[in-house]
Amino acid sequence: MSSGMRATGTRDTVVAEPKASRAPVPVWLFFLLFVLLFWAMYEFDRRGGWFHSQVYTPYRSLAELQRYQPATGGISLERGKVVYETVCALCHNTDGSGKPNQAPPLSGADWVVGSPDRLIRIPLAGLTGPIEVKGQTWNLAMPAMGAALSDDDLAAVLTYMRSAWGNQAEAITPDQVAAVRAALAGRMQPYTAAELQAIP
Amino acid sequence: MSSKSAFQTATGDSLPADISCRWPLFVLLSGAVFWLLAGSILTLIGTIKFHAPDFLAEPAWLTYGRVRPAGLNAMIYGFCLPSALGLTLWLLARLGRTTLAGAIPVVFGGLLWHLGVGAGVVGVLSGDATGFEHLEFPSYAVAMIAASYLVLGVAGVLTFRQRAERGLFVTQWFLLAAIFWFPWIYSTATILTSVYPVRGMAQAVVGWWFSANLILVWFGLVGLGIVFYLLPRLLDRELESHYLAMFVFWMLILFGTWTGIPKTAPVPAWIPMMSKVTTVLAGLALLGAALILHRTLGADYRLLSTDPSLMFAGFAVASFVIAGFMGIAEVLSGASSMLHLSWYATARSWLQLYGFFAMALFAGIYYVWPQLTGRPFPLPRLVRLHFWLAASGVMLAVIPLAVGGIVQDGNHANPEMAFVDVAKGTLTFLRISSIGDVLTLAGHFLLALNVLLAIGAFCWDRVRIALRTATIELQEQGVNS
Ligand code: HEC
Repeated sequence: MSSGMRATGTRDTVVAEPKASRAPVPVWLFFLLFVLLFWAMYEFDRRGGWFHSQVYTPYRSLAELQRYQPATGGISLERGKVVYETVCALCHNTDGSGKPNQAPPLSGADWVVGSPDRLIRIPLAGLTGPIEVKGQTWNLAMPAMGAALSDDDLAAVLTYMRSAWGNQAEAITPDQVAAVRAALAGRMQPYTAAELQAIP
Repeated sequence: MSSKSAFQTATGDSLPADISCRWPLFVLLSGAVFWLLAGSILTLIGTIKFHAPDFLAEPAWLTYGRVRPAGLNAMIYGFCLPSALGLTLWLLARLGRTTLAGAIPVVFGGLLWHLGVGAGVVGVLSGDATGFEHLEFPSYAVAMIAASYLVLGVAGVLTFRQRAERGLFVTQWFLLAAIFWFPWIYSTATILTSVYPVRGMAQAVVGWWFSANLILVWFGLVGLGIVFYLLPRLLDRELESHYLAMFVFWMLILFGTWTGIPKTAPVPAWIPMMSKVTTVLAGLALLGAALILHRTLGADYRLLSTDPSLMFAGFAVASFVIAGFMGIAEVLSGASSMLHLSWYATARSWLQLYGFFAMALFAGIYYVWPQLTGRPFPLPRLVRLHFWLAASGVMLAVIPLAVGGIVQDGNHANPEMAFVDVAKGTLTFLRISSIGDVLTLAGHFLLALNVLLAIGAFCWDRVRIALRTATIELQEQGVNS
């Protein structure tokens, strides 16, 4: 048996185990390695969220993610929801859609997402007379439902209303509420829509 | 040589490595061939259900959700691992110019392994599966397999340690790394999914990590290790080259181990992103492997047809490269593409598991077996026939599934199309791919036949030698008296 007989089905009797040549790795493979490493780092930097446990695809960074967070300004939305459901939902409905002949809708209403100074006045002093909400005129009266609430709670409920049911507007802070409350100086008279329009 | 009689040439002269590996490898490899048959029959039953849902629908243990994982696990743990380990032990003994350390424990280890696989397959069929892909075997089977691995792995390391040839060949690094890699990934995955399960999505991440490490890294290490031995051996030339193989080795290990987490996984973005970039980087290992094949052949691919083991080995490398690039295409496809949730992914992992790894193992088994017995396979023509059946079977199974998956993915993106219609649209592709499964199964019967006859012939040789020696002794006694 010669050493040349090394085909499948024959047996090796002379052992000349294989060797590997010492030819170098082609340079272009290393070049490619560095190009791909560069691409990998670029790609990871761009979309990997840098190991942050709260960043999920398709978001790329914590900053981007925060842009899509409901604006709360440090106010608890959960608290706002609780206040809303105990104080306001009876008339305005839990989903903010209002109730016919009882109270106009809050979702999508300009009064809610618009000027904070007008909005804060409504629960603090109440509202009466004709008012146009989403193209429909209502002529009812709302008592000062928020006058008894603390600044924190009123800020929380208004902020909740401004970020729930598709509404998107920045938060209302307890300081803003306190400022308006001071400006009202114990006013008991409910506002009219026309009066509110005059406030910026 | 001429002074020796025929039967002595058949069994005499064997290398110490071959003699010491004989029974351990008989046990490991013939058991593996048994599971290969069982696994592919179970898989085929699963596939037929796509065309005829009523087929064997009655007994719970033959429903799709059980036969499919039972078949796949029989394929992986019954066929792939024991044959890989058997070939590893032989290669380490041969390349180290030594004998197999602990041959007798390895025989029992091999028996325990196959018993464990039996328990696992029965367990999965009876509804005990764990629910993690590629890790479906219930705990009692895992315990047996782990105990057996301990024996086989230690035998491998000891064989390596006692080597007489100090210089290392490429194959040895690949196989030695593989010996340590498997217990690492298998124990980590089993502990984190079943023993002390991590919470929520982390379990799925562990599962994906394990699958990728098994199929890309571990199969890669062993499969390439075998191929890199057979190429220079059968071509009677040097492997091209030592450094290129080292490059492949490190690319596979450094980058391959991060891959496998799909982009839609509901986990923090860095995990799928890491997987994506490393999948692309691991592509360098594919290029390297292709280059090694190309350069060792000297660009003359016809050389592969000179030997059936070379044909299997060449096909294996081609599948390794193609499957790898299919994986890269999958991670690079656009954000809206869900290729990894279509048949395309099934096609890719089958190409990796069967087209690459099983084919590399066939190459090894067909080459090594005659070294052990000292005889060629009884039906050598069937070896080539097996190659053609396996090669056409893989292509018929993989190409339609991949194309079907791409069509399916396109249809999923079409809001006009109902999900059921999308699923029905893949049926033609599934039908063709089932034909491929039948062809590969036919090939497995050929391998089994050759192995059975070879064991029979070997034992018969043994009996003849014993008889002949006894007769000679008797005659001598007659002459003396
Ligand atoms: C007793 C029923 C009732 C309750 C409780 C009530 N409202 Fe009203 N609310 C009304 C009515 C009625 C009007 C319309 C008044 C009008 O027609 O002038 C109104 C109007 C409003 C408006 C302006 C119109 C619109 O829909 O945008 C706001 C803002 C508002 N309410 C906020 C609140 C908040 C905040 C609370 C809880 C703190 C609250 N309301 C609780 C009955 C109620």
